[in-house]
Amino acid sequence: MKRGAWHQCGDKSQRLVEEQLEAGHGVGVVLSPRDLKADALAAFAATYRGLGADVIVDTQFYVPDFSNKNLQTYTISKFRQSVSALHQISDPELSELSAELEAGTRAMHGSAVVAPAVLYEAGRHEIVQLNARLFGAAKSVGDALGVPTYATIGLAKSVTGATKTVTDALNAATALPADGWYYAFEFEDERIPSARDAVYRCCEAGLTLAATAKPVLHAYGGPMGLLSFGFGASGVGIGHSQNLWKFTRDRWEPPAPPGKRKPPPPRFFSQSLWGTIVYPDESVQLSATLRAAVLAPSTPFCGPVHATPPRSWSSWDAKKHMLCVQAQTFARLEKSKTARAAATAAGKQLKDAVALHARIKDARLKLKDNTNAYQENWRLALSDLLKHRSADFDYMEL
Amino acid sequence: MAFTLPMADAAKQFPKYTFLRALTPSAQKAAFHVRDAAGKDLCLKIVAPHNETERLFREIRAMQVIAHPNVVRLIEYTFSTTPGQQQHYLIEEFIDGKDLSDHLAAGKPWDLPRAHTFFAELCDGLAALNQHEIVHRDLKPHNIRVRPNGQPVIIDFGLARHLTLPDLTLTVQGARLGTPAYYSPEQFDGVKYDIDHRTDLFALGIIMYEALTGTMPFLASNITIGQLRDAVCQGTKHLKTPQFLALPERTRLIVAKLLEKDRARRPTDAGQVAVLLRKPPTTGAVKP
Repeated sequence: MKRGAWHQCGDKSQRLVEEQLEAGHGVGVVLSPRDLKADALAAFAATYRGLGADVIVDTQFYVPDFSNKNLQTYTISKFRQSVSALHQISDPELSELSAELEAGTRAMHGSAVVAPAVLYEAGRHEIVQLNARLFGAAKSVGDALGVPTYATIGLAKSVTGATKTVTDALNAATALPADGWYYAFEFEDERIPSARDAVYRCCEAGLTLAATAKPVLHAYGGPMGLLSFGFGASGVGIGHSQNLWKFTRDRWEPPAPPGKRKPPPPRFFSQSLWGTIVYPDESVQLSATLRAAVLAPSTPFCGPVHATPPRSWSSWDAKKHMLCVQAQTFARLEKSKTARAAATAAGKQLKDAVALHARIKDARLKLKDNTNAYQENWRLALSDLLKHRSADFDYMEL
Repeated sequence: MAFTLPMADAAKQFPKYTFLRALTPSAQKAAFHVRDAAGKDLCLKIVAPHNETERLFREIRAMQVIAHPNVVRLIEYTFSTTPGQQQHYLIEEFIDGKDLSDHLAAGKPWDLPRAHTFFAELCDGLAALNQHEIVHRDLKPHNIRVRPNGQPVIIDFGLARHLTLPDLTLTVQGARLGTPAYYSPEQFDGVKYDIDHRTDLFALGIIMYEALTGTMPFLASNITIGQLRDAVCQGTKHLKTPQFLALPERTRLIVAKLLEKDRARRPTDAGQVAVLLRKPPTTGAVKP
């Protein structure tokens, strides 16, 4: 698994991803069948590979009720309802799924097979068994094609709410003879996860996976990817929209019909805040010194922000800027010699972000996105991880 | 209770072999060191009448698929019934040497290079089992033979389970099989589904601890089964003993990782452990 940022598709972002890769941001792409017809998926995969990225597909069997025209073009979709909603698949169907998975992976020259799976739910052993069978089918594809097979470990809210249930799920899931882990942790619905204990559990589970010495791709990591290399992940899924920032099944609800609401103003993703600030409404209220500290770094996509006077800035460019900042940051973090060093570096960055937020607060400005809600808790969660799981960090350094 | 058979009676049943001595029997099998007409030493195991054949078949299946120097080799298996006569036996390679339990009996810690080499090889054998999706489930010093050259060989697959084969009758939910001194937390507290190859890794951790420190991590004199269970499932005292703390950090981390209560936190396969053990052992300062 290539180390660094992986573009997590799933919200009409194929061209944007292409542009990011052309600019040298990101090392891989997780394609989403909900966005693309099967033939288009193969074509985009070829484009991304041509730009040096590794490409994998997340079949997203963990979402039961979603369907659209794109999904219907995939032959494996016929198993979706049975697997996702009923948690069952017959042996002949499993063989068929395996054959279809092989054909699909072969067509797109996938760098790995991501095993279809449903989310692990607390106390549901039949899901463990189903995922093991689905993994077996995927593993035969990976072995036949000579590429790694990653087990999908998606932990549902019924699991992620307590350490015991997370442990039980991981005890079962890590028995799979996987070559790596495609890991997602479902949080309570919140723009960016902020609860210290939940973030700690997410990091702790990630560390447990990383300590198996197999690569971990933290799917739907988004800004929280700042912590991922600190728990030993090799890759982090990033995306332009909030749907791709975190893992919740709610994201699959059909979108609300477009209303007449005015589109929201763009947000500047600030590396030093490790969060967003509304542009220009909030940024103009900062003193020149603070503004210089907050509106950083500069990327090819944020020229209007730094113009004098500042010009209007499109939401799409704001999103590109954000991806660029995250990919650059993660590229730096993944080069840390050890997970412990990455955790320490992330902790330092969060500490600085908290201090900067304090300065903004002193200037009597309250940021609309409640951007300062999570940095301190993330820092504390990482600090707890370094303290309580020190032996795992030591073990990974052997 | 072990199944025993007088050697003279056994010799009458198998005239083509020269019987040299009786070996330690198990509940299911009487065992003998024999020599064939070509002068080759073998281990003949005669299966007890009315033995649970399905469990035996499982053992046979496990042994048939593995060819590895650190796992005992099955040479022949015969189960024939003719009126008035039944022959039911296995012939395995004869492993000269002693049980590992004999090497550990003195309670003297092994020197590090010897321990690392020995257990790396044992891990190779366990990795071969894992590769074939077989869990031994009763790994203990009595089930590890040590050749005269020091090479370990895993024997006695009586409780082995092939993870991909249906196994609905032999181990009911919650039933305990194995030897308590080498039980893992999931053997004490878990259900059938909880047993996997990492159960063997926990037993490996106990054996390594025993070899490296000269003491058992959980078992103590006069301990009840309940106290043993508590120590295995919750105890951490074993990580704080002077003998354990005297080990180099690398060795301690490996053993501690093998002895994790949660399977997810143990190494995922013995091959990884073998790699770590083969790295040159550190002899530097001990980090408490």
